[in-house]
Parts: sequence; C-alpha cells; structure tokens
Amino acid sequence: MLNLLASRELGVDSPACVFHAETALLAHSLDLSKYHDFQKIHRGGINSLDLDPVDNRYLLSGGGEGIIGLHDLHNTTGVPQCTFPTICTVGLSNRYRHKFSVETVKWYPLDTGMFISSGTDKHLKVWDTNSLTTADEYEFSGVVYSHDVSSIATKHCLIAVGYLGNSVRLLDLRCGSSIHTLKGHRSSVLSVQWSTRNEYLLATGSQDSKAMLWDIRRANSSLMMLDQHNGDASANPNSVNTAHDGHVNGLCFTPDGLHLVTFGTDERLRLWCTATGRNMFVNYGRINNKCRKSITLAMSHDSKPEIVYVPSDNNIGVYGLFSGTKLGTLRGHFSQVNCCVRDANTQHLYSAGNDRNILLWLPQTDTVRAYEAHLTGDSNKAHVTRFTQRIAATADAWSSDDD
Amino acid sequence: MSCKRSILPEGCRNRKRICTSRKQDDDVSHTKWDANEHFETATLPSDTKAALLYLKNLFPLEKFEGRLPPIMTKHQLYSIIHNRTLVDKELEDLRICGEVRLFKLGSKADEFFIVFTQDYTSHVQKFIAGMSVNKVVIDKFLSTVISRCQDVSLNKQTMLYDFHFKDEDITQLVKACVLTVRDVGSWWVSIPAAGLYMKSFTRGRKAILTMIKKCKYKEILQSELEVRKLPKVARLGMTYHIHDIIGAELVEW
Repeated sequence: MLNLLASRELGVDSPACVFHAETALLAHSLDLSKYHDFQKIHRGGINSLDLDPVDNRYLLSGGGEGIIGLHDLHNTTGVPQCTFPTICTVGLSNRYRHKFSVETVKWYPLDTGMFISSGTDKHLKVWDTNSLTTADEYEFSGVVYSHDVSSIATKHCLIAVGYLGNSVRLLDLRCGSSIHTLKGHRSSVLSVQWSTRNEYLLATGSQDSKAMLWDIRRANSSLMMLDQHNGDASANPNSVNTAHDGHVNGLCFTPDGLHLVTFGTDERLRLWCTATGRNMFVNYGRINNKCRKSITLAMSHDSKPEIVYVPSDNNIGVYGLFSGTKLGTLRGHFSQVNCCVRDANTQHLYSAGNDRNILLWLPQTDTVRAYEAHLTGDSNKAHVTRFTQRIAATADAWSSDDD
Repeated sequence: MSCKRSILPEGCRNRKRICTSRKQDDDVSHTKWDANEHFETATLPSDTKAALLYLKNLFPLEKFEGRLPPIMTKHQLYSIIHNRTLVDKELEDLRICGEVRLFKLGSKADEFFIVFTQDYTSHVQKFIAGMSVNKVVIDKFLSTVISRCQDVSLNKQTMLYDFHFKDEDITQLVKACVLTVRDVGSWWVSIPAAGLYMKSFTRGRKAILTMIKKCKYKEILQSELEVRKLPKVARLGMTYHIHDIIGAELVEW
C-alpha cells in the first residue's frame, strides 16, 4: 500500500492503479459476515435479488411463495452488528401479489419508486414501491423465466422478457404493451440481459443450448448466434451453432460491455467477445450447475484482474475472468444458490438461495477482523463465566483431608 | 494465507521489498539473467510440453510390451498446470505445429487423448507390419493426412478431394485401425490397438474411484493412495490415474 501510494505520489503509476489494487485486495478477501443478518420473511427459496442502482441502499428479493421483500441495507444503529430490517413486503395478504413463485425482480434503473417482477404465474407486474400496488400487468402464454430493463437506455424504455415458448418479448413501458417479438430460439428462453455498453443490444440464453445476440433496431433482430467452436466444423458434431451442450441459464455482461459470460447446465462457463461473437476459449473447468432456472452471476471489474462470482450448488465460486483460474469458494449456504449481487461501492456481495437465507459477504479488512475478534472475545468470556458458575454449582465441597 | 497471497495482483505483491541498498545489485543480476534467458528460451520446452513429457515418462510402456505408444489425456495436464486456459493455448500451439496429435477415443464430449506425432507414426508402422493391408496407402496416409491435417476427425470430402484417397483406400485405413467410423461419411482418426489402452484406462479409473469412495469420509491422503495396488487389468499405474481423476475433476482436491 505504502509502495503504491509512494509511486502514485511520484507519478510513476496512474491514480487508477491504486484504486484497482485496493479493490482487488478487497474483492479477493471476501468472506461470510459473522455479524450481519437479514430479517427473515421468505417461506420458500429466494430466486432473485436486485440492488437499487440509484444509491445502492435497497435490496429487493423475490421468493418462492410469491413474496417480494424490500430490505434496507443502511445501518443506522451505530454498531456494526445488525439485522437489516425489511421495510415493506408484498406478502400473502397483498391482493396484487404473484400467485406462484417470483422468478425475477428488477428495479427500474432510474428511480426506486418502481420495480418490476415476474414469475411462474405467467404474469409480469410493474409495481409502485410506495403504495405496493401494481401499476401495470402483462400476461404471457407461459411461465416467465426472466426479464431485464436496460440500465443505460436513454432512447427507449423496454423490458425484455424470456418465457416458456420460443420467443423473447419486448414490452414498452411508455405505451404499456408488447411491441416486438424476437424469434429465433427453438425452446424456452431462460435468461435475458441488456448490454451495458450498447442500449440496443440484447443477449438471450435458452434451453435449446443457444445464446443469441440481438439488435432490436433491425427488422430481423437476430445479430448472431454464439458458437462454442468458433466455426471449427470438425469439432462440431451438428451443424447448428450452440453456445453450450446444455441449457444456457446464466448471462452476464462485463460492466464495460465488451465481453459476455454465459453459464450452462453442461457445467461450463464461457467468455465471449460481444463485438465479434467469438468464444475466447477461457477454460474455467467444471462448475456444478444443477439449477434449471435462471441464475444471476456477479462481476467485479474495477479490480485487476477481473473477478466473476458464479453460484454453483451450495457454494459461490470465485474465478478470474480472463485467466479462468479458480481463486476461491464462498461456502455458507445450505442449499442451491440462485443469485448473487455485488455492490460496486462497498465491494459487498449479497447472495440468496433455496435455503431462504440472504447472506452478506464482506471483504476481510483489518477493521472487520478486529470487530470479529472483539465479538468472539466477548462470547468466549461469557462462555467461560457460565462454565465456571456451573462448576461452582456442582462442585463437591467435601474433602478427605478434613478427618 | 499463502494461497491468497499468490493470487493478489502485481500492484500489491512486492510490498515487503523495502531495502533499497541491494536494489542495484538485484538489477544487475536481473539483466544477466535476462541475457541467459534469451539464450535458453529457444531450447526450453513450454510448461505444457514439459508436463506432457513427464506424463509420457509415467506411461508404463513395458507393461503393454510395446503394443501401444505413450498416450496421455488432455485433462491430466490440468492436474499439473493449474491455469487451464494456458494449457489449452499451449496445447493448441503444439497441435498446430504438428508436434502432438489429439484423438477422441471415449464417448465423452470433452475427453481428448494426446500422442506425440513421432510416437504415433512409428507405432502405426510397427502395428501394420504384421497385417495384410496395403502399406502404400498407410504410408500415404501418414505422410499426407497426419503431417498436414491436425483435426480429430475427417470427412469424406477432405479424404476424397483434398488428399485423393479412393473408397477402397479408406476401407484399408479402417481395417488398419487408423480410422474409425464416426458417422456416414466421417471418421475419427484413431490409434491402432487403442482398445487395449481404453480397457485398462476405464477399469483403472473405476477401481481408483471405488477405492476412494470406500474410505472413511470418502477421502484419502495422496501419499496413502499412491502405495495402494490397482487390479491386474489396470496396467497404467497409480500416479497416472491420480493425475487423471484430479484433472477430470472426478474428485475434489
């Protein structure tokens, strides 16, 4: 650190260098927070999390029973140890709620007054956060697996929806109706994601093991179909271009939008160049993926080297984005992890899964470590005193030396 | 902690180097080393090739009485070099420059077997010596296809038009086991007598996996595993199989 600051002072390194090095240190040292907790409201597994993009304070969670919770991550107690309260919930008593499981929740990127949820009851609902009523509702012919709103769009206000059925729908919030259907997949679309660089670029992953890129301005919107063999015919047993040898259920653009990561049930993670659509042939090894629903990956790109967090069964794998080496595993969940979300400002990682828990992963800085030591020291002392009291109570005062 | 240190980015790594008096010294030795390195890199093999040579040494040739060339697998390399992307890239380079050949023998999609091209050609020549096949065709196959085409499979078009083989020639090649049928009009390039290898490979893998499964808590020390004995059919040796199961991620390591 001192070295870095000195070379920064002398002008040897750019200011970004210190920033990248420090974020990398934090991002590498993530560990389960031992003194944070979330108020429990979910009765089923949690399928989706979203952190509000405006001030990174409110966390949305969508659960298996149609419950949506809104958690406040701002700790006002003055003590680091806290339970994050739930500000409001769309519970079982709310008459606008989803009948079945909620698959995806997303904040409207510009304002926390609105969020969008979709679920297995074939509905997509646009919510007013303050009154917790639906402002708009769309019905589909099948289960809605995933939807996404572009976070950088200035010229359109479209929601891309992937559902059971072989097409992707685009909904326009301004006119309140479906305006476009993107056809090209042969099976259900499990995940959709808008690009973080180009507001008209959309990526979709489907059960037919294809991942496609779309430019929504074109009449024939399909831009390209990602091919895992890069057109090498001898390695490709069938003539169609596939991105994986199984369902494609996780998609994530890098924050600069130059690369795309796809995750498939063939237990592989693949990195693609979005400009050319070519496979970068980064080999991450086998990453377990038993999930048949959409999975959310998280990425840390301000650290160099870049890191991607991949939910894999009960754990979250930490991988170098461009090297493909495994940097670690985050263990803490008791059941399948469905999603993880990263807070870019504080480097915190939030994850949720079928065990109904939301977990917070903290970078292990010195202050965090000191506070943990302080807490365990306290509990040890309490334990010791209790133990000595118990001994005192059961101790035998009789001594054979007396007689 | 040591593990964490090693993955830190360059910026944070050399924080302990405070002593400045020796720096000049360091630099001098560094430049010297650079000169040496420049001289030596031309002859030094890449990490992947070194690993391949190590695995080649592990392969028990004498147990197969010279009926097989040394066969390695791609995933065994992953157990030695941990950066899989680097292995893939270096192996691709070796394949394109024709030093090694990749083969697909099993049914699994991502299992590739590696043989050095030199070993392969000498093995094929030895194998067909006792067979009643047209040696001219085989020699032509070795000199054209093996040296020029680095793919794992061939289709009818390339065989007929690019390499000018006739249908009868292809029959001869299949008979000599250098081609096996993949589909109508497409073939895998294969190693003659590969069945012998596959038999002991699959049996050995199965045996070692059951061995680990039967242990207490389903875990065992590698040193303890190394001294155990495999069944007679699995002739490839314990270390070979340990590299195999670690690389194929059949065990947690």
